[in-house]
Amino acid sequence: MSLRLNVNGEDRFSAAEPLTPLVDVLRDEFHLTGAKIVCREGFCGACTVLLDGRSVMSCLVPVGLAADSEVRTVESLATDGVLSPLQLAMEQHDAVQCGMCFPGMLMSLTSFLERMPNPSRDDIKAALAGNICRCTGYERIVDAALSVVRAA
Amino acid sequence: MPGQDGERLYVATSLADALAALAERGRTASVLAGATWTMRAPLRHEPQDLSYVAISKIDELRRVEVLNHEISIGACVTHAELANALAFLPECSALVQAAGNSANPAIRNVATIGGNLCASAFAAADLVPALICLDAELEIARPDGSERLTVERFLEIRSDIEPGRLVRRVIVPRTKRRSAHIRLPLRKAGDYPVASVSLAATLGPTGIVESARLAVGSVEPVARRWPLLEAGLVGRALDPRHAAEQAERLCGDFSGRDGIEAPGWYRVKVLPSLVRRAVLALQEQS
Repeated sequence: MSLRLNVNGEDRFSAAEPLTPLVDVLRDEFHLTGAKIVCREGFCGACTVLLDGRSVMSCLVPVGLAADSEVRTVESLATDGVLSPLQLAMEQHDAVQCGMCFPGMLMSLTSFLERMPNPSRDDIKAALAGNICRCTGYERIVDAALSVVRAA
Repeated sequence: MPGQDGERLYVATSLADALAALAERGRTASVLAGATWTMRAPLRHEPQDLSYVAISKIDELRRVEVLNHEISIGACVTHAELANALAFLPECSALVQAAGNSANPAIRNVATIGGNLCASAFAAADLVPALICLDAELEIARPDGSERLTVERFLEIRSDIEPGRLVRRVIVPRTKRRSAHIRLPLRKAGDYPVASVSLAATLGPTGIVESARLAVGSVEPVARRWPLLEAGLVGRALDPRHAAEQAERLCGDFSGRDGIEAPGWYRVKVLPSLVRRAVLALQEQS
């Protein structure tokens, strides 16, 4: 049986077994490799995508439960090669290092800033509680997110 | 109609549909809500069940209804939805704090109250002690009707519930109480609590505690009340230091579970501090 998902605005179909983690379908079938597979236990946040607008750990979402839903991955953020304001801020603040955690960071923050447009520094840190980075120490990431808020 | 034979995941569209699908599959099927616990079964070296009946798309299981005498919470209400829906009710602070601080935001967007109650091997579940301290009940739907039982009773029998039944909703009685949920994770961000304390109390006009329910989570395999400490809190004003001293004296009531994140003795050792913080939190509520 084929499952329909709307991924980044486009209808996609998968014949994967319904308990397959969404992240595996995104990467292996749809070749959207932005979401990263790291812990597979919902702890690190590297596989964060948006499901009907809410941030989720795609390693713990069975693809069968994502059927007929809208999925947004990091690949959706830049349009026609132009980075989103959040992506641009990360680049300008030199916040990106190895890049493993970054797609998840961006998706968590994208969803968060859509819901809370004027957060405090502590609000941003709380929003990133499920996104672990072993390179940066987080501060420049938070600085970058705050700069987007202040520029809005 | 239930799905085809051999289908591993059936997504039910109504409660009746889910019950029919479970009845058809018998012991080969389990209920799936948010899936965050079930999807990690391989990491726990546990086999997944042969098939699942998903209930998270059933509208009636996703509702929170605040009535005059009780709050009805559908089994598939997520932690994030729960924290948001009850944020305006000070009497439910314990549940709001438990739902709003567990795990991390992306898990809270998916993990459900029903799943938290049914994951019998999940000792660190935050909602469970909070629901115990609020004297919550739950309703189990079965093909021929439903039954209502306390959360405490459900915890005793949850591993032996017959196939074909599912948790439909959780019911929290409304009373004029103060409550708080205090948790100690090793890292502030995203960790399970090493130990948690949920406290609810009603106070008389002069500030004397008239009734208290205190539940401890994550210390033992299953959350439970601390009756001797509850008795020690009743009949006097809220006093964080005194409560912590009582907890210190009564800590022998608990046998901490050893785990990767903390040894059992440590979980017990931190309880007086958590009790002190819980009583302080109630003192600060007005």
